[in-house]
Amino acid sequence: MSDHRLTSEGGAPAPRRPPARTTKADFLTRIRQEMGKTRGLFSATASERPARPGQRLDLLRRELTERWPQTLERFRAEFERVAGVLHRVPTAADVPAALERICRAAAARRVVAWSADELGVAVAPALDAAGISVESMPGGGVSDTERGRLRAVIAEADLGVTGADLAVAETGTLVLISTAGRPRSTSLLPPCHVAIFDPTALVESLEQVGLALEAWHEGPAPPERGAVINFITGPSRTADIELTLTRGVHGPKEVHAIFVDGGLARHG
Amino acid sequence: MTEPIITTPLRERAAQALGDRFLHEALDIATTKFITLRREAFGAFPDGDQLRDRARAIKEATLQRLDAHLETLVANVERLGGHVHFAATAEEARDIIVDIARRTGARMAVKSKSMATEEIHLNDALQAAGVTPVETDLGEYIIQLAHERPSHIIAPAIHKTKGQVAELFSRELKRPGLPADPEVLTKIAREELREKFLTADLGITGANFAVAETGTVVLVTNEGNGRMATSLPRVHVAVMGVEKVIPSMTDLAVFLAILAKSATGQKLSVYTTLVQGPRRPGELEGPDEFHLVLLDNGRIAQIAGTLRESLYCLRCGACLNVCPVYRQIGGHAYGYTYPGPIGILLTAMLNGPASVKDLSHASSLCGACADACPVRIDIPRMLIELRKEVGERRIAPWAERVVFKALAFVLARPALYGLAARLGRVAQRPFVRSGRIRTLPLFFGQWTRTRDLPPVARRTFQERWRDV
Repeated sequence: MSDHRLTSEGGAPAPRRPPARTTKADFLTRIRQEMGKTRGLFSATASERPARPGQRLDLLRRELTERWPQTLERFRAEFERVAGVLHRVPTAADVPAALERICRAAAARRVVAWSADELGVAVAPALDAAGISVESMPGGGVSDTERGRLRAVIAEADLGVTGADLAVAETGTLVLISTAGRPRSTSLLPPCHVAIFDPTALVESLEQVGLALEAWHEGPAPPERGAVINFITGPSRTADIELTLTRGVHGPKEVHAIFVDGGLARHG
Repeated sequence: MTEPIITTPLRERAAQALGDRFLHEALDIATTKFITLRREAFGAFPDGDQLRDRARAIKEATLQRLDAHLETLVANVERLGGHVHFAATAEEARDIIVDIARRTGARMAVKSKSMATEEIHLNDALQAAGVTPVETDLGEYIIQLAHERPSHIIAPAIHKTKGQVAELFSRELKRPGLPADPEVLTKIAREELREKFLTADLGITGANFAVAETGTVVLVTNEGNGRMATSLPRVHVAVMGVEKVIPSMTDLAVFLAILAKSATGQKLSVYTTLVQGPRRPGELEGPDEFHLVLLDNGRIAQIAGTLRESLYCLRCGACLNVCPVYRQIGGHAYGYTYPGPIGILLTAMLNGPASVKDLSHASSLCGACADACPVRIDIPRMLIELRKEVGERRIAPWAERVVFKALAFVLARPALYGLAARLGRVAQRPFVRSGRIRTLPLFFGQWTRTRDLPPVARRTFQERWRDV
C-alpha cells in the first residue's frame, strides 16, 4: 500500500484555501503513475463488442420473428412475476378498447400519451369519445412555457400511455428510449403506466439487449434521440420498512402492457 | 478522506449491537431473506457462474486500462453536453458540488441513494451552504428524518421497526397518529417526496456504472427515485468513484445480469436508467445541466495497492448478508460509511490501514463473502494482508505483536514447536475446564475474554505420526 494516505485528517477542518482544483491532466497522471507500478492481478479482457451491431440486430430480429409466440409466453411469465399485467389484442384497431378497459378499472379520467406517431396507433379520439381526456405529447418544437404546462399535466395525470422499444422475455422488462414526443415521465409520474408493443419489440435475453444498445449507439445518434433510455421491470417497489414489499413508492403502482399481434404502424 | 462516524471502540459498539434484541432479530430476518432470494435467483440461472467470471474479468481489464477508459468517458460525456469534474479528495468533491449548487442558485437538492455521497459526507456540506438535501430512497429518507446513518448498503433502515417509522413520520412530518402500516407509511413518503421532486433545483445521484464508449451514466433503483432525480430538477450531478467505469454496452449487459440477483434476488431491478447528458432539443424534461464528478478519495492509490481487487466491488451488499460477523452486529457497529466484509477493505482504502486496526479482525475469515461476491473478490486474502500491515506498521498493540512474532518463530521450527507443545501441556493444566481453556492470565486474558481455546492434545498429531 502506498504511503500518502496514511496520515489521519481528523479534528477540525483545515482553513479554507482558495480551491486549486484537480485538473483532468493531474488526475490521469496520478492514475498512470499507479498503473505503471503493476501489471494487474491476472490477464483479462473486456467483452468483445460485436462488429456492425446494427446489421447483427436486424439479423437477430428476423430470426426472432420466427419464434415470437414462445418469446411472448416467456415474457408474459416474467412480466406477471414482477406484477405486470399483459393484455393481448389481435390488431392495432383493438388497442383503444383495451386501453379504455384499463382506464375504467383504474378509475383513470386524465390520461397522457406519447404522440400517436410514436405509439404507432391513435388512442386519443376513441378515449375522448368515451369521456376520458387524453393529452398527446407534441413531437417537438415546444416553448418553455408549454414545457412547464405539459410537465404539470403529466404530474396530474392518472395514467400514462407509452410504447416500448424492447420487451425482454428473460426479465419481463420494457425498454423505452426517450425522444421528443416520448417524454420520460409519462411512464413515471402517473400512478398507472400502460405500454403498447408488438412482436418486433420482443427479444429473449439481456445479452440481446446488449446488442441492441450497441446498435443504437453505432455511429452518430439520430438528432431526435433523447438523453435517457429506461428499463422498466414492473411497478415501482420498495421493501425498506421491515422488508414488507410495497408497490408504487415513487413511480407507478400498476404497470400494464398491451401486446398487438398484428403489429403497430412502424414509425421513423 | 472520511472521518469515523462513531468514535467508541469497536468492542463497545459490537457489545451494544449484540445487546439490542430487535436489531438482532431484524438483521437475522433481513439477511436470511436476502441470502435465500439470492440463492434462488442464481439457482434458476445456469449461466450465473460463467457471467460472474466474465464480470470479474471485465473489472480487471478495465483497471488495466483505466486511464484510457476514463479519457473516453470524459470525452463522450462532454460531447453530449455534460461537464466532468475531478475530485482527488472528499473535500474537493464537496467543494465542486457546493459550487455547482451556488452557481445555479439551488435551494433544495433531491438525492437518489448513493454510497459515494455518503462517503464524502455531502449532506452536511450542502446544508452548510444553504441547500437543503432531501434523501428520496425510502430507507434513506427514514434515516435522514431520524438523523441516523444507514445500516445496510441496500436496505439502509433495516434496524427500524414499522412502529418506530410510524412514530417518526407522525412527529417529523406533523401528521399525528399514523398507523404502523408499511403501505400507509410508503404512501405518505410518496406524497411528501413527490412535492420535493417537482420543486427541487438540483438532483444528486451516484452511478452504478458509467459506460465509457457512450458517455452513459447508469442508475439502478427499485423505487424510481433515480429517474425522478435525473429528469425533473434543472441540474443533475452524478458522483462516482473512478472504478465504476466500464468499457461498453456489451459489458453493461453482463453486469446487469448479475447485479440485482446478488443484491435482492431480482432478475433485474425495477428501473435501470441510462443517462446521456442533459436534455436534448425537443425533449420535454431532463436537466439543463449535467455534471459528472469523478472521485479518487483513496481509490487511485490502490490501483497498485494491496486492496486493488476491492476496486471491482459493485456495492451489491451480498457479502454483508452472508457474513457471520455482520449478521450479529449490523452495519452501525462498523463505525464507517461502508459496513460488512467489503466495508472493512473500503474503510482501509479511504482512511488508511490504521482505521481498521480493530475492524480487520471483525471477520472469521470463513470465506462466505468471497463465495457470495458476484465478481469473486477475495476479501479474506485482503483482510489477512491488512492484518499483516497493521502489525508491521506497529499500529497493533505491542503485546499482540510480540506474541504473534514469537508464534511465527516457533511455528517455523519443528523441534521448538514440539518442545512448546510439551511445555504447553504442562502449563495449561490449571486452566483447562471441561476440555476447553476458558481464561488465561495476564494480557493473554484479552484473547480468552471472548473466545475459548482448545487445549494442547494429550498426544499431538506429530507424536502419533512418529508411532505409525
